[in-house]
Amino acid sequence: MAVLSAMTAAATMFPGILFAEEQERNLPKGGNLDWKKAPCRFCGVGCGVLVGVEAGKAVAVKGDPKSPVNKGLCCVKGYHSVMAMYGKDRLTKPLIKKNGTYVESTMEEALDLIASKMKETIKDHGKDAVSIYGSGQWTIPDGYVASKLFKGCIGTNNVEANARLCMATAVTGFLTSFGLDEPMGCYEDIDHADVFVLWGNNMAEMHPVLFSRLLDQRLKRGVKIIDFATRTTRTSMAADKSILFIPQTDLAVGNAICYEIIDKGWVNKSFVEKHCNFSKGLTNMGYGLEDKYKFSDKPEKIDFESYKKFLEDYTPEKVEKMSGVSAKDIKYMAAYYGDPNKKVMSFWCMGPNQHSRGTWMNNIIYNIHLLTGKISSPGNSPFSLTGQPSACGTVREVGTLTHKLPHGVVMKKEHREFAAKIWDVPVENIPSKPTYHTVEMFRALDRGDIRFMWIQVTNPMVTMPKLKRYRDGAKKEGRFIVVSDIYPTPTTDIADVILPSAMWIEREGMYGNSERRTQYFEQMVNPPGEAMSDTWQLVEVAKRLGFEKQFYYKKETHIEEIYNEYRRHHEGKKHNMAPLEVLKTEPGAMWPYVEGKSTKWRFNSKYDPACTNGEDFHFYGKPDGKAVIWQRPYEPAAESPDAEYPYWLCTGRVVEHWHTGSMTRRIPVLHKAMPHGYVELNPADAKRMQIRTGDKVKLTTRRGDIILPASVNERGVPAPMQVFVPFFDENMLINDITLDSFCPISKEPDYKKCAVKVEKA
Amino acid sequence: MKRLVVISLFTLLFAGFIVVWNYSYQTGLEEAYVPIETQSHVDLIPSETGVFERSEFALDYANMPVDENHERTLKTYYNNRAYHGAPPSIPHPVKNKRTMGGNTCLQCHQNGGFAAKFNAYAPVTPHPEKVNCKQCHVEQNTQTLFKGTNFKKISVPEVGINNALLGSPPVIPHQIQLRENCLACHAGPSAPKEIRVSHPERINCRQCHVPNNKVVRDIGIFKRNSNDNE
Repeated sequence: MAVLSAMTAAATMFPGILFAEEQERNLPKGGNLDWKKAPCRFCGVGCGVLVGVEAGKAVAVKGDPKSPVNKGLCCVKGYHSVMAMYGKDRLTKPLIKKNGTYVESTMEEALDLIASKMKETIKDHGKDAVSIYGSGQWTIPDGYVASKLFKGCIGTNNVEANARLCMATAVTGFLTSFGLDEPMGCYEDIDHADVFVLWGNNMAEMHPVLFSRLLDQRLKRGVKIIDFATRTTRTSMAADKSILFIPQTDLAVGNAICYEIIDKGWVNKSFVEKHCNFSKGLTNMGYGLEDKYKFSDKPEKIDFESYKKFLEDYTPEKVEKMSGVSAKDIKYMAAYYGDPNKKVMSFWCMGPNQHSRGTWMNNIIYNIHLLTGKISSPGNSPFSLTGQPSACGTVREVGTLTHKLPHGVVMKKEHREFAAKIWDVPVENIPSKPTYHTVEMFRALDRGDIRFMWIQVTNPMVTMPKLKRYRDGAKKEGRFIVVSDIYPTPTTDIADVILPSAMWIEREGMYGNSERRTQYFEQMVNPPGEAMSDTWQLVEVAKRLGFEKQFYYKKETHIEEIYNEYRRHHEGKKHNMAPLEVLKTEPGAMWPYVEGKSTKWRFNSKYDPACTNGEDFHFYGKPDGKAVIWQRPYEPAAESPDAEYPYWLCTGRVVEHWHTGSMTRRIPVLHKAMPHGYVELNPADAKRMQIRTGDKVKLTTRRGDIILPASVNERGVPAPMQVFVPFFDENMLINDITLDSFCPISKEPDYKKCAVKVEKA
Repeated sequence: MKRLVVISLFTLLFAGFIVVWNYSYQTGLEEAYVPIETQSHVDLIPSETGVFERSEFALDYANMPVDENHERTLKTYYNNRAYHGAPPSIPHPVKNKRTMGGNTCLQCHQNGGFAAKFNAYAPVTPHPEKVNCKQCHVEQNTQTLFKGTNFKKISVPEVGINNALLGSPPVIPHQIQLRENCLACHAGPSAPKEIRVSHPERINCRQCHVPNNKVVRDIGIFKRNSNDNE
């Protein structure tokens, strides 16, 4: 009976949503809609959507039932995504700042001006005075031409992207533990796992479509969902168990789980012996608060015994005192990880990534999975989620970070030679030293080391931590800032030239999502006015700088030409990208795409043709084919609450708005549902200070102060002596008061922890 | 010899006593371990928990055949309320006048089911934890008025016009206070047919359906304030 009902249930899962006659009586009739497929514009889940186009306008969205990512379901942002193109204040013409006011111009004039300014800056201040700051919302071709122009042609490593603010830690986590970036598993793991542990991840709001797949599995198979977080959220409400920890102590709890696994004899000995090494790195790394801060780790091999000895400081009983998590709860989680009959999937996103010891935290989660051998097989999966549609596809795979190349890193001669050959540039063009990571890049702009910055598809004047310094720096004399965007934002406010961009389905492109899936979209509607794709803006400027030979692409076919050129960087079984024809017909393909097949589980010889050691698993990212279990201690956050600033401040998102809200706030449905920012307080704190929802609250940190309306017992509840503020509201810039400390290994800022004073305003 | 045995016996006993006493003294000095229990308490967020309540029945709702002869309509739903959002009155006779409601009402209204007596499915309450039912829900014992009234029902939300785009998920056109649990009214045989959800198994309703909430301070059409004027 149960089996039967589960089967009928399976049939009703993910329906194309049907409406009873009464329900659709007042709906406008469908007409002759043309449905075309695309990946969603918003988060890194990468749902397949079908966009309804009528008379040259996008008018409707539905989930693509053929997409294995979302199987026909979207979230509220996805369903209304096309409305983001039709805001009244859409930028349609380039604007050039003349004597303090913006004057409408033509694309020709604006692009000429940009090229001549770049030449002038390079002549006066050197190559390393020009820079580009891009985005995980860049399509693959956008990022590729940016990297080719700046690294290959101009010859500077001043290429960074906002993914430094969200995914850099995931990258260094993967590289230190496995030597190769991006998850080994895929979303299909959800259909196999028995237990889901969410590490500081409010998945019900941030990755709702994937979370709905977890909920489905709970209905079908009774899986367990454990929410391990610092704040009570919608996810905690849905989870089977909610465990709260004191900020930053996730490091200790993770180690305590490892201790418990070893202590109880749950280590998968043959897996660890065959496939793992043990290492430790430097400690007391600092927090990157000072300009020109430098850090490079010095890994040192250790043995299992000394790792075990190190863990003795992290017994559940010792850790419960510092973390506020009871030993019972630590053992509860460890027991699931340790049980050989349970398949466990760990999810995390900004909690462990925007963390001043983020790389360590990523390592520790991998440690748990490596010790128990629960990795790279269906249902056993440490899965790092992403927040942007192409953080993986563009920033991580194309490599639009200062140290990266499409294949490999600038520091290695053979990697430079390989890239230079495909790019058709002399190898000497590509400098061998990385320059500035994002925070340092904006510091360099403030100092005057960087004089020209081109910002595309991102809004750093809302998202940079300790924002005021970087806003003031960007406004200084002698800086030239170009911003390509679709709407006016606080970032266009600092621009000397504003270029109108064509967004998403107004142009052709590809995104790569969290599960290594590359997805293509065609141009479905025309961009407004003179708006131009970011790719073509860069190509036009490159030509004006004299790189016609390298930027030979024809306007009609440039996306195809660029993608085919890009694929050459990744040839081989470890990273082969699917050909464009496949992407056009299929709902995306997962790299490595080998012999006409996506690879679902990397490093597992059953599924991954790149495994060559004859064993079940082969971690071929490391020279000896073994993954690394890292000894990573607990260290405190850069700034902890004290007598003067007694609360923790955490920032984040809400389901309705995506990042800085420049798109979603212009969608009426979403704006009405979530019209402005707020500060969440714990009800006990609110009661003590006599603050009620809607009352004005003043937050003060060492960087400044801000006034926000209070939210008590609404969307989320922070623990006592903690507050939470979403960052989407550009009229309440919480980042003016956040701290620019970062993980010394990944250089990703910690937006989740600083000390704040809270008063009724 | 005998004496030697007795002496050594007592010496052994004494030594044993010293050892045991020492051991217990030393362990008594050790720091006691008391597990911390209080921290694992989790605050419930009323507006957020409700959505996931009754989700254990979601599959049953999805698989339940529709009983077309006993479907409730939105019209009867609204007719039973003084205005849109008002607590419904009790449209049937109540036997036990003295109880506050509680189990008497919950027998039928906690999980619903067919009531042969009324030839209808009992509507499910979205807030079964509030047991003083009759504090808000009252009987209607007469059709006549004491005096006439000028009160007019404002028009109720219509179905099928709450979508921003063709086929996009409708917004929530009503307040959700005390109605946090969507499935109570939108799923099952007692749900008004116009608002019965075709996909109750989705559970996390507000992933797609967001409130169109007029209670929050309306700032009108979103306008960007420049940060320049600081």
